[in-house]
Formats: sequence, structure tokens, C-alpha cells
Amino acid sequence: MSEPVLQIRSLSVDYPTRAGLVRAADDVNLTVFRGEVLGLVGESGCGKSTLGMAILRLLRPPGKIVGGEIVFDGNDLLKLDDEEMRQLRGARISMIFQDPMTCLNPLQRVSEHVVETIRTHQPEVSEEEARKQAAELIDRLGIRTERMDDYPHQLSGGMRQRVMIGLALALNADLIIADEPTTSLDVIVEAQFLDLLRDLQRQFNLTIMLITHNIGVVAELADRVAVMYAGKLVELAEVFPLFNDPLHPYTQGLLKSVPNIRLTEDHLQIMDGSPPDLINPPPGCKFHPRCSHAMERCRAEEPPLRKMQSGRWTACWLFE
Amino acid sequence: MAEQNLIEIRDLKKWFPVQKSFIERLVTRQRQFVHAVDGVDFDIRRGEVFGLAGESGSGKTTTGRLILRLTEPTEGHIFFDEVDLAALSEEEMRRVRQRMQVIFQDPFASLNPRMKTGDAIGHSLEIFGLAKGEEKRARVMRMMERVGLTPMAPLYEKFPHQLSGGQRQRAVMARALIMHPDLIVADEPIAMADVSVRALLLQLMMDLKEEFDLTYLFITHDLATAKYICNRIAIMYLGKIVEMGTLQQVYSNPQHPYTQALLAAVPVPDPKARRTAPMPRGEIPSPINPPPGCRFHPRCPIAEEICSQEAPSLEPIAGQEEHLAACHLVK
Repeated sequence: MSEPVLQIRSLSVDYPTRAGLVRAADDVNLTVFRGEVLGLVGESGCGKSTLGMAILRLLRPPGKIVGGEIVFDGNDLLKLDDEEMRQLRGARISMIFQDPMTCLNPLQRVSEHVVETIRTHQPEVSEEEARKQAAELIDRLGIRTERMDDYPHQLSGGMRQRVMIGLALALNADLIIADEPTTSLDVIVEAQFLDLLRDLQRQFNLTIMLITHNIGVVAELADRVAVMYAGKLVELAEVFPLFNDPLHPYTQGLLKSVPNIRLTEDHLQIMDGSPPDLINPPPGCKFHPRCSHAMERCRAEEPPLRKMQSGRWTACWLFE
Repeated sequence: MAEQNLIEIRDLKKWFPVQKSFIERLVTRQRQFVHAVDGVDFDIRRGEVFGLAGESGSGKTTTGRLILRLTEPTEGHIFFDEVDLAALSEEEMRRVRQRMQVIFQDPFASLNPRMKTGDAIGHSLEIFGLAKGEEKRARVMRMMERVGLTPMAPLYEKFPHQLSGGQRQRAVMARALIMHPDLIVADEPIAMADVSVRALLLQLMMDLKEEFDLTYLFITHDLATAKYICNRIAIMYLGKIVEMGTLQQVYSNPQHPYTQALLAAVPVPDPKARRTAPMPRGEIPSPINPPPGCRFHPRCPIAEEICSQEAPSLEPIAGQEEHLAACHLVK
């Protein structure tokens, strides 16, 4: 396997609220390797976006990292000062969010965004040369070059997401964190975007952490998949074995409740109950109240995420 | 009118005038319109789940709003239970509207955050003067029990934010059903929901359909979800229906190139089934000046000359009675 780009070690994030303390990410361990697409999936409130924001140190107050390390390129990001972190963000770690308008300056033309990004990364490049590179890049993104002087609001949602990918490319970022990048896109535009992302990923050996609730998008694009539930990482495996033979009962239930347009004879299965209130999480395994395999031990002791003989990881006492 | 049809739509159009600045109006004389719905015909049969699917801007939501008469059609007719809605007085329409209810995609947005769940469910009983006080409460409780919103007494007093996702969906259904409607228009009812909540709502909708003898118009952009609930489906593109048929016909044998692309684009939750089919280029064009001829022709991989000149009508496909497509190249 290739070298690790990012190592998250025992990371915990708390949100103190009036009703009590919410542990949104609980002792998470996860490594992202160079050149892979790591899918991070789970339902709303499972902590997947919190994890993404924690890596960037952009948690919204009162969210706070209360323990652990985030090692990127040999440095613990949690030990950097704000200025060092600001340099790193955007320059070496790029972000793509659900709504690209939040990341694009509405008063700056698309070309200006790209030119500025190229010149920040390579100050030796002249304005003219940067503009030439920008045009090439925009063309490669499948946007007609006559649109390059448009303002972000003049572009469609799909084109804006393409621009975001383009900025990450211009920076030659070591890691791209994409949080629900296709969620606001229509299905054909989503498919076009995923095609582009896959092509660029292969061509430039990009490292992408793809955070989404859309299991189909993960199946299309990811090399490995991490499943989160109630702030915990419950399963981690390569994409084929994970979908073929999910180990954790939560992963099993999740996959069975996803609509699949291909299968002809099937029906959706319903997982009993709902995710726990994180102010008063259940003791032991947080999934045990909804789990049909729950044993005495599951109610008392929390299972750690452990590596199995097959090289897969799961947090479940069934695999003790 | 066929007796089995609850709804018949004939040549329905809705054009929205484009708002322009004063100067622009002086310079260009011509008024411009968004052709949101541009000549749509279909029937909804009693007891079926009819799906209306398409991307944003296809006109599916406007069609739903026209049926509910939340917006007035520019042209065309909507028959509800053999009555032309356009001919009804406001008072008559009020009575018909009780028989149609709508549920929206986001239960948070459709439940008043300051109203107790029970009061929200029974609100329309009061508005229509059907029940109040103890009588209302009793009817709400009975409905809560039937949709599985239990224990009733404590949940009656709770506010929407205190309910779980599944409970909120049940509350929305209970509120729609308390009027004993014939038709429920479900506009993206599950777009916001997470996977496990979504499966639950679909199941709930199907269970209640049998029990309350309902007909659904299911408006969605999510073709994978539509598969689990619709009997028949119409695919819309830029204000027109491009293909219509039973779910089986449309999904296993799509004829219109747009339908084929749309179905192929849906991400499949199985890495073994990764998509290889190429996608049509570009995006859905502006509905202000839709392309001439077939509206899909600029993006269509098999377009011929005729496609840019003549608009194809929605015609039955040879040998397939119920399966229609609007494409010059489909025989």
C-alpha cells in the first residue's frame, strides 16, 4: 500500500450544548493513503462532516477537538498555530462542499479564482502564463472557455462544482476533502461530475476523502469505505468486500435499506429504531438497541475497531 | 371520461412571465415566459401510485401545484373525479380541495414549529369547521393510532422538534389523512430523509394506501426510490412528458434517449455495477427559450434532422398499449 497522507488517531470532538455534552466523533482512528478515494458514509448526525471539518480545524463553535492527533505530512495539525493552519488549508488540503457558492467569491470571475490560485501556488508564473494555464484547466473541466470570465452565480451548480475541483487541481493539493459534493446536483449532472472526478483522480493520482450519505456515489467512486454510526467508526474495508459482505450489523442494515434501481425483485428493508440521542447515548455498543444480534456484552462494553484476519476492520463483539 | 380515472389532465400549460426591469421592458417589446409546463396530458387511475419524475426545471412540481390548484393554469384542463376544476367557484373548489392533500419533502418545513403535534394534525378539521375541542382531539387520537404515532397522549402534546424523524413523517401523514382525501400529492416526500427513515416512510405510505383507499401522485427526482412505490410513471423534460408507461415498461425497456440517460445516471449501491454508459453532454437548457423541435435534441446522441424541426408528440409504442414515448426515432 502507498504512503499515508493523513492519519487520524483517537480523535474526539465534543459539542457542549445547553442540554448536555454531545460527543460527535468518538475516538476515531483512520488513515488516508496517497492516491485513494476513501468514502466516509453514514446518516445525518453520525459525525462524518464533523470529522471532515475537524481535519481542517474549521469546526463551528462550540465544537471542539478534545483529544487525539491529526497527522498530515508528519505534523500534528492540532499543534499548528492558526497562521500555519491557514497556509495549509487551501494550499495542501482542498475542500469541496455541497454548496460551492460558499467557497467561491461572488465578486470574482471564475478565471480570477483560477489565476489567483495558480499564482499563489507558483508565484514565479506570470499573469499571462497563469491565464493560459487557467484556460487549459477550465477546458479540461468540461467548461467552455468562453465561460471563464463569468461570475460564479452565472454558472450552473454542476459547473461550480467543476470549478472547485479545478481549484484543487491548480493547487496540486495533497488531499481533497469533498463533503456531499453531488448532493445538490441533478442526477445526470451528478453522473457527469463523478465521471470527471474519476478521470482526474486517475490521471493525477489524487487523494480524496469523499464524505456522503449517498451509498450509490460511494459505490461508484470509492476504493475503501469507512462507515460511521453515532460518532464511531464501525467498519472499514475495501469497497468490494464491504458491499459484498458487510460485517457490522449496522452496515448490513444500511445497505439493505438503500434503494437500488437495478435489482428487479427486492424490497427495502427497514432498520428498527433510529440513531441514538448523543447526549444520552446507550451504554456499550451504540448500535445495540437496534441490533438483532445484540448480546449481554454489547449492552455493557463498547467494542473497539479492530483488524480482522481478512485485513478488514470492524467494531463488533460478534467478531471477537 | 373513463370511470377508473380520478384525475385527467388535458393539454395543461403553465407559463410564468419573466420579471424584467423597467428599462429592459422599454427596450424589448416582447414579453418572455418560462414554459414551466408546456402541454402535458396524463391520467391518474383510482388506487394507483402515479410517478412524475424529472430533474429540476422539468415542471414536475408545477404540475403537482396545478392539480392542487395552488397555481392557475395558463391553458388546459384538469378533471378531478369527472369535474373540470377550472369551472368551479372558489367555494366549490374549497370542498374539492379537502379531497386532495399534499405532503412535502421536508417534514420540518411543513409542521408549524410552535404548534403541538396533535393540534397540527387536527388543524384542518378546525379550518374546515368539521370538528373542534374534544371532538377534534378524539379524531386526532384515532388517526394517530392508525398511522402508528403512539403513545398518543404524550406525543399529542409534543412539538415537531421533539419528535424523531420517523414520528414526524407519521405526523405529516396523519395530518393529510384526517381529511379522508382521495388523492395525496407527495412532492419529493423523502428527499430529505436518511436511508432508514426513507424506507420507513415508503412502507408507511404503502400500508396507509391500502387502509385508506388512496391514490398517490408521487413527484420525485429520485428514480431509485420511485421504483419501490409507483405503478406507472411519466418522465418529464423541460415542461413536457417524454415517456410514460408502467414502471416495468419504462425501467426495463426505456425508449426515449433522455429516459435511458436518466436511468443510467442513477448511482447504484453496488461497486460491481459501476456505470460505463456515457452521459449526455451539457445540462437542461433554459425553459425561457426551449430548443425548437424535440427539446432534448441538442443533447441527444441519436438526433436527426427532423428532431430539430418538429416537436414529437407522445405516441404509443408499437405493440405496447400503455407505453408511450415522444421521440421521432421510436417506432
